[in-house]
Amino acid sequence: MDIVFKGEHLLPGQLGQFFVVLAFGAALFSFICYFFATQETAPKSDNSWLRLGRIGYWLNTVAIVGMGICLFYILYNHYFEYHYAWSYTSRELPVYYLISGFWNGQEGGFLLWMFWEAVLGNILIWRAKSWEKPVMTTLALSQVVLGTMILGLQIGSAHIGSSPFMLLRNSGIEGPIFQNPDYLSFIKDGKGMNPSLQNYWMIIHPPTLFLGSASLVVPFAFAVAGLWKRRYKEWVQPAIPYALFSCMVLGTGVIMGSFWAYESLNFDGFWAWDPVENASIFPWLILVAAVHVLVVYKNTGHSYFTATFLTLVAFVLVWYSSFLARSGVLGESSVHAFTDLGLFWQLVIGVLIFLAITAYLLISRFKEMPITKKDEETYSREFWMFVGAIFLGLSCFHLLVVTSVPVWNLMFGTKFAPPTDPIKHYNVIQASFAVVIALLSGFTQFLKYKKTDVTRFFITTLIYLVFAALITGLVVYATGFYKLHFVFIIVMLCSVYTIVSNGKILADSFKGKYKLAGSAVAHIGFGLLLVGALISAGTKKVVSENLTGEQYSAEFAKDENPKENILLYKNEPLKMGDYMVTFKGDTIEGASHFFNIDYQRINEGKVTESFTLRPNVIQAQGGMSSTPDTKHYLFHDLYTHITMTNVISTAPQTEEASHGEEGDDKNYDAPVAHEIAIGDTMAYRDGIIVLKGLNKNVKLQNIPLTDKDIAVGAQLEVITHGKTYQSEPVYMIKGRAVFDFGKKIEDAGLKLRFTKIIPGQTVADGKVEITVYQQPESKKKFIVLKAIKFPYINFLWAGTIIMIIGFFMSILRRNKEVKTV
Amino acid sequence: MKKSSIIGIVVIAIAIAVIISTYSNTSTYGSFNDAKATKSELHVVGHLNKTKELFYDATKDANYFSFYMKDNKGEECKVVFSGTKPQDFERSEQIVLTGQMKGNEFHASKILMKCPSKYTDDKLNVTEVSAKKSANL
Repeated sequence: MDIVFKGEHLLPGQLGQFFVVLAFGAALFSFICYFFATQETAPKSDNSWLRLGRIGYWLNTVAIVGMGICLFYILYNHYFEYHYAWSYTSRELPVYYLISGFWNGQEGGFLLWMFWEAVLGNILIWRAKSWEKPVMTTLALSQVVLGTMILGLQIGSAHIGSSPFMLLRNSGIEGPIFQNPDYLSFIKDGKGMNPSLQNYWMIIHPPTLFLGSASLVVPFAFAVAGLWKRRYKEWVQPAIPYALFSCMVLGTGVIMGSFWAYESLNFDGFWAWDPVENASIFPWLILVAAVHVLVVYKNTGHSYFTATFLTLVAFVLVWYSSFLARSGVLGESSVHAFTDLGLFWQLVIGVLIFLAITAYLLISRFKEMPITKKDEETYSREFWMFVGAIFLGLSCFHLLVVTSVPVWNLMFGTKFAPPTDPIKHYNVIQASFAVVIALLSGFTQFLKYKKTDVTRFFITTLIYLVFAALITGLVVYATGFYKLHFVFIIVMLCSVYTIVSNGKILADSFKGKYKLAGSAVAHIGFGLLLVGALISAGTKKVVSENLTGEQYSAEFAKDENPKENILLYKNEPLKMGDYMVTFKGDTIEGASHFFNIDYQRINEGKVTESFTLRPNVIQAQGGMSSTPDTKHYLFHDLYTHITMTNVISTAPQTEEASHGEEGDDKNYDAPVAHEIAIGDTMAYRDGIIVLKGLNKNVKLQNIPLTDKDIAVGAQLEVITHGKTYQSEPVYMIKGRAVFDFGKKIEDAGLKLRFTKIIPGQTVADGKVEITVYQQPESKKKFIVLKAIKFPYINFLWAGTIIMIIGFFMSILRRNKEVKTV
Repeated sequence: MKKSSIIGIVVIAIAIAVIISTYSNTSTYGSFNDAKATKSELHVVGHLNKTKELFYDATKDANYFSFYMKDNKGEECKVVFSGTKPQDFERSEQIVLTGQMKGNEFHASKILMKCPSKYTDDKLNVTEVSAKKSANL
């Protein structure tokens, strides 16, 4: 490497790489110091270990912020000598997408994770008091493990971590251009961002999701600290608000991802049971279960082991899901898993470290744990909360077993494939779990801790169950939901039941039992979320059914109904469901290509509703990505989405321009000549053409006419699909030569030429010859679109927001209860 | 019997049920030959035969797409998919189909494509860019 490269900006990268190493070193230092600070037994310590640990952690934080600044500086200034900038951004990308370019790659993801962990660590240093030493030991350890992921160290043929500051010429891409000292001037632009990620949700979804995942380390650290320092009972209370916070943020992050999936419609809806999506809710399900048993333990002293176990496992699952998403193991089963960056074994080690800590502490401290010998009462709240938590765990267990099929294959050398219809498989089984969970979160509200009056409990439960059944009956009837599998109807019943019974608790809370409001609101939100998801996914309907009869073969059509895509030629209206749709035209705005599609609802000959939807197609990285446009109604959304078009092609358009007149005619069907007189009409495939008159005073640009020359224009009127176009092709005799100037009507796919004048006996019966060129169907501009109706989706979003509010209220309440020493 | 043991038994029973239902629901990766032998749906892994015709003409039928794929055992079969042609289909390196045989055609209900891995893709793009520059000079 003796070449001196020109034009590179090496400083930000070197600085960034320095921060990467500093962050790792500082985290390791902090971990060691905190570890010794925790182990210290001397009654009067000068706290020097603690102080060093803090300094290490602060240094780590500074380094992480430094890395972030360097990386953003590189992206912002388009320094494509860096692999990261070149891979994920381009010059055209607006600044707000540069921000999402920041976490487009895996390295940025790790950076974000480390950043949030640094923030949380600093909050804990400030607030955790006596818990600081052991809790921060765990956080620092986690920072060390994360730090190795972006280290980018090359030792022989093996490398540790993948640095975001890697240079393009060192990234493993072979190319003769890197022998050229001036190679940078060949690299004009980056590859740009994957078009499906160019969505505003991608700016806010990843940071939220990473904050959620990162925050799971806090309850984990408290549990570890409790077991490690044998403060078995004390860790639970301070951990609850953090655990609630994680549930809230992680839940929000996952739902934001669903919002994105729903809006960009890349996955046909808000949830597709893709392995990566499943992996993101493993920790959430387990942590929600953990929160419930933690509360049980706090109130009754029961379920200590379960509470500790779930809290610990939730964080191990964060690592496991990040292993699934990042190791490339899901390559054959997921659409949005990352490819392996060579971190496979590092990620495995990451999972194993935290799994080992969990296993060691649970086994070695098992005998000392405050486990009650007495069983819970059957009619007590704690018992059924415990059962609910177990079922949440089982639901996660099922997701985990199925999602991990590629992992089992790898471990045991088997060759199982995921279910052929995964959506149906997951829907039915998860719905069964949802039945139990929703039912429990309903009737458990009527139970009290320790002991409940049985008769009263049964009466209230039944009254609300009947009430819920009535509502469910109405809803099921009104939405057409009854056509579905009975399991889903039962889920619906149980979800409605959750809503009404928690509604009662909420009403009670206004009368003074305000403490319960948070949980009631969260459960109502959860119920609504289920209701919205069920109706929307269950009764979604493809509106764009192909009823035109245009089909490949009758036999094929018989097998493969219903057809979900329809073909629309420009300016040719088509009836689609209740609407008359017309493809009006297209416009280009930046990298996006918008298609204007008119919708008209026609009732008894009158237009009752009319709107335009503008789905667009983005071209980037050599691919196309289609973004739908949606008409939002209060009770349903109507999607329109371009699946195919001949308006833009991915192939380079070089040939058309060079061929001139000869080549141009190839774009049309064989010409048809018509001899017609003024006022006559001729028909063509898509309409009629009328010769209105002849214009003898035609002026032609750039061609001066003398007295001997003759130029005549044919005034033609084209009527097609309810539209009228004017066109005036010209016939000219100049000197001794005959010319004609054809005219094109792009919108109608026509070219008209005035090719001959045929003199008649009188002036009146003189005729002219008009040659009509029409584009074949395939050359006419068309789009293929798919339109889907999603009913009642707003329940899902409303439920989510309500659930988040509920979590937030609970955090406030539990936070008040904490008295940290 | 103690309640905790009852719960334990229930949990184990459900866990076993989950594993069995998962096991019976998982399909297998197979070849076109396997697909001919069975009537159930299965996954076939292979790659696109780029020398043969990819047929998709929206003006004839917007929901008909056919192509030829070679499975991992080297056997070739015509594949029909009811829908539009997926973007970048020609660039795919590996295809995972879900579906079943109907006559001599494999009717796919789902297509999962694996596009070129990051690094080979990078190489292509670099050569393209540099070619353009030399043309300008």
